[in-house]
Amino acid sequence: MTAHSFKEFLLLSVDLTAFEETDLLGTGLAHQYLAKVRDACGEGVVTALLGAHRAARADAAGDAESPDRTLLDRALRHRIFSDDRLGPVARNVIKLWYAGMWYGLPPEWTDCYEARTAAETSTVTAASYQEGLLWRAIAANPPGAKAPGYGSWAQPPRIEARYLKEATQ
Amino acid sequence: MYVRFPEGAAKRTDPAATTDVLYDAVIVGGGIAGAIIASRLSAAGKSVLILEAGPGEDLTLKGYEGYLDRFYSATSKDNQSPYPVVPNAPMPRGTDARRIFPGSPDASAYIVQSGPFATDTTYTRVLGGTTMHWEAKTPRMLPEDFRMRTLYGEGADWPLTYDDLAPYYNEAEREIGVSADVEDQTYLGVEFDEGYVFPMKGLPLSYLDQMVAKDVNGMPVELDGVTRELRVRPWPQGRNGIPNPAYNGGKGYVPQGAVSTYQVEVGGRCQGNNNCVPICPVQAKYNAGKTLAAALQSDLVHLVAQAVAYNVHIDEHTRRVTEIEYRHYDQPDSPGFTTLRARGRLFILAANAVENPRLMLASGLHGSSGLMGRNFMDHAYLLAWALLPEVAGTFRGTNCTGGITDLRGGRFRRHQAAFSVDIHNDGWGWARGAPMTDLIDLVDAGGRYGEALRQGLVDRVSRQLQLAFMVEVPANPSNRITVDPAFTDHLGNMRPILTYDIPDYTMRGVAYARQLSKRIFARLGAEDHTEYDPNFWGYAVYAGEGYEIRGGNHLAGTHMMGRDPSTSVVDADQRCWDYQNLYLVGGGSMPTVSTSNVTLTVAALCLRSAQAMLTQLDAESAAINITSKAAAQSRPQEVAR
Ligand SMILES: Cc1cc2nc3c(=O)[nH]c(=O)nc-3n(C[C@H](O)[C@H](O)[C@H](O)COP(=O)(O)OP(=O)(O)OC[C@H]3O[C@@H](n4cnc5c(N)ncnc54)[C@H](O)[C@@H]3O)c2cc1C
Ligand code: SF4
Repeated sequence: MTAHSFKEFLLLSVDLTAFEETDLLGTGLAHQYLAKVRDACGEGVVTALLGAHRAARADAAGDAESPDRTLLDRALRHRIFSDDRLGPVARNVIKLWYAGMWYGLPPEWTDCYEARTAAETSTVTAASYQEGLLWRAIAANPPGAKAPGYGSWAQPPRIEARYLKEATQ
Repeated sequence: MYVRFPEGAAKRTDPAATTDVLYDAVIVGGGIAGAIIASRLSAAGKSVLILEAGPGEDLTLKGYEGYLDRFYSATSKDNQSPYPVVPNAPMPRGTDARRIFPGSPDASAYIVQSGPFATDTTYTRVLGGTTMHWEAKTPRMLPEDFRMRTLYGEGADWPLTYDDLAPYYNEAEREIGVSADVEDQTYLGVEFDEGYVFPMKGLPLSYLDQMVAKDVNGMPVELDGVTRELRVRPWPQGRNGIPNPAYNGGKGYVPQGAVSTYQVEVGGRCQGNNNCVPICPVQAKYNAGKTLAAALQSDLVHLVAQAVAYNVHIDEHTRRVTEIEYRHYDQPDSPGFTTLRARGRLFILAANAVENPRLMLASGLHGSSGLMGRNFMDHAYLLAWALLPEVAGTFRGTNCTGGITDLRGGRFRRHQAAFSVDIHNDGWGWARGAPMTDLIDLVDAGGRYGEALRQGLVDRVSRQLQLAFMVEVPANPSNRITVDPAFTDHLGNMRPILTYDIPDYTMRGVAYARQLSKRIFARLGAEDHTEYDPNFWGYAVYAGEGYEIRGGNHLAGTHMMGRDPSTSVVDADQRCWDYQNLYLVGGGSMPTVSTSNVTLTVAALCLRSAQAMLTQLDAESAAINITSKAAAQSRPQEVAR
């Protein structure tokens, strides 16, 4: 595992999850997640996924530092999410970060790309469940861990205003 | 109070040595019922042997952490996920339930279900019993629940009244450590002693409850000619809150903390982990390990774990139980076991409302009334789910803090079942596996990622409202537990067979509950997403409408108490009419399950029975010869597989 591919995996994860790099590193699980994807799907798939992400970023590169959001969204859809091989893996990376769990890929995928280990649903470590980003996204604690304290449930949830947008439309 | 589970207490008793001891009482089962009786008898100087089917190390620090780790690592976080699979003392699991087709019972899991209705009801066979994973709602029964036959012509009357049980409710609330406020719990005839306060103050309602209350409080409901106004009310809870200084005439109350570890940050107040079922990580929630830990401080209490009661032996001449034969297995999954026997003056079956009659029937003891195992009751749960118009921050707090209790009682019970309603802080978790199913759906089907995913999650999950209607099921002799030598477990014990159907009386309550949920959602401006799947294992059709019905885990009725030996199995003291020195205790003794979660009532009944047992022990001091013909040989054996 090279330091370079780890960096690229983080960048990909930021785009997929909308959590900042520091948040992702803060889970302490980024290395294990990359290793999990490698173990499950094989080196070839990981290289292709990171390559496709690099290309998507290049498609979207504006003049400034950060990419053009609309272009990036389109490039990710075209290059990754709609791809038979990469789409299911990218969606699994999202779920890995959000739920701390690798969801088994269907036999159509594993048969086609010869990575049978990818078919098994498994947790990464006991900690990965607790670090799932899902709980942070909904301003709750993972049931059974990171207790928020007596009576905290009586207060409104601390969800950033921009995520409330859709709900109050 | 800080009591630690005595290190090695589960192992200090040598099983082989106990066979020559005559105990004052032999108790089968180390759940709350068995633990309470053991603690009260030993406190009065009586010797006690507890036989526990599950492994015994679990209440030490290592054991409890093992449960937690197993839970965190489990890919399926169902309500038995923290607990080890022990083939020698198997237990039902919520995920076992399968659709039952007429004529073919489902024997794939521990409880053989012959239907016609399938249930996912569970209990836990580990030391501490099912309270290890209960949710710990602790409402009292209503006074009218004890007089259902007289008042409404449905179900049965108890040989006890609310007033008879009230002092024991007080004591049970102390033992469990209940957090609640008297002003919230005084309704539909429930009254408290002058000046009574609960040990701890009520837990605050969740933000979600408060949002529901804004619109539901004051909602008029007309039923059987009576109009009442609904109100969101906090539930009394068996979990640590803020001690009430006014408790016990101003002496206050000291909460019982975690028993398996030193109290650093654990064992204090409920911290809102939202994980009470299946396991509270900090033991803020009561479990019977707390009562056991206190009882085991006494040398008078012996505990043999990995001991599955196998046969109750009786002497037909004296009408007394002579001994209980049990199988002590070497390892949770190994076939090796030793047959041993336990002797006592009194025998107390506290193995729960399925296992008590299972053991009796497997011993050939059907009861002179023929009612052993009959009148199985549980609650039928109907769920209804919707999205609130605003973000309510679902998934925070204990599993459930508030509910609607106004339809627990009333004259309408002549025609249809009563119910209570839970507002679930864990959203559509029970109905549809939220929030993981929402995540998967948004990502896989919705094509969401990044910011759109985060917005989608808040929109879909944080607005969830799930109401759970807990509907009463009246006693019916054809709903029953039986056994059959064709169905045994690894250790050779006959497995329970459940025959269960939901009566129309309950279905009328279910149908009404669904209508009410629609009205409530409309009043809240919530989008109703309730949809019942005809392929669901618990799908039931009534008056042309289909419903998903789930099990309630509130087992009752199978050795019902009564005034008349021909229509009941035990008397008001839970003493078996047929055998003078045998008590069957727990939910099985209850003639009605009504609309309260059963455990507080089970605890109160056991506290009351402990008095009767002490009286009997003091009255009967005749010598008992402990070498009986039926005595089993203690020799190592292997199960033939
Ligand atoms: C998910 C869930 C949530 C619940 N929530 C609530 C709630 O909110 N409020 C409420 O009031 N109730 C609740 N309950 C129900 C509550 O847990 C039970 O009513 C209560 O634990 C029953 O106590 P018990 O001691 O009678 O039986 P149990 O707790 O079942 O204990 C029986 C004991 O006997 C042992 N045993 C069984 N067979 C044998 C044998 N042959 N030989 C030796 N030992 C044996 C078992 O291992 C066990 O330790 C819930 C239950 C579940 C499953
Ligand atoms: S909310 Fe948490 S801390 Fe409170 S009782 Fe439940 S699991 Fe324990």
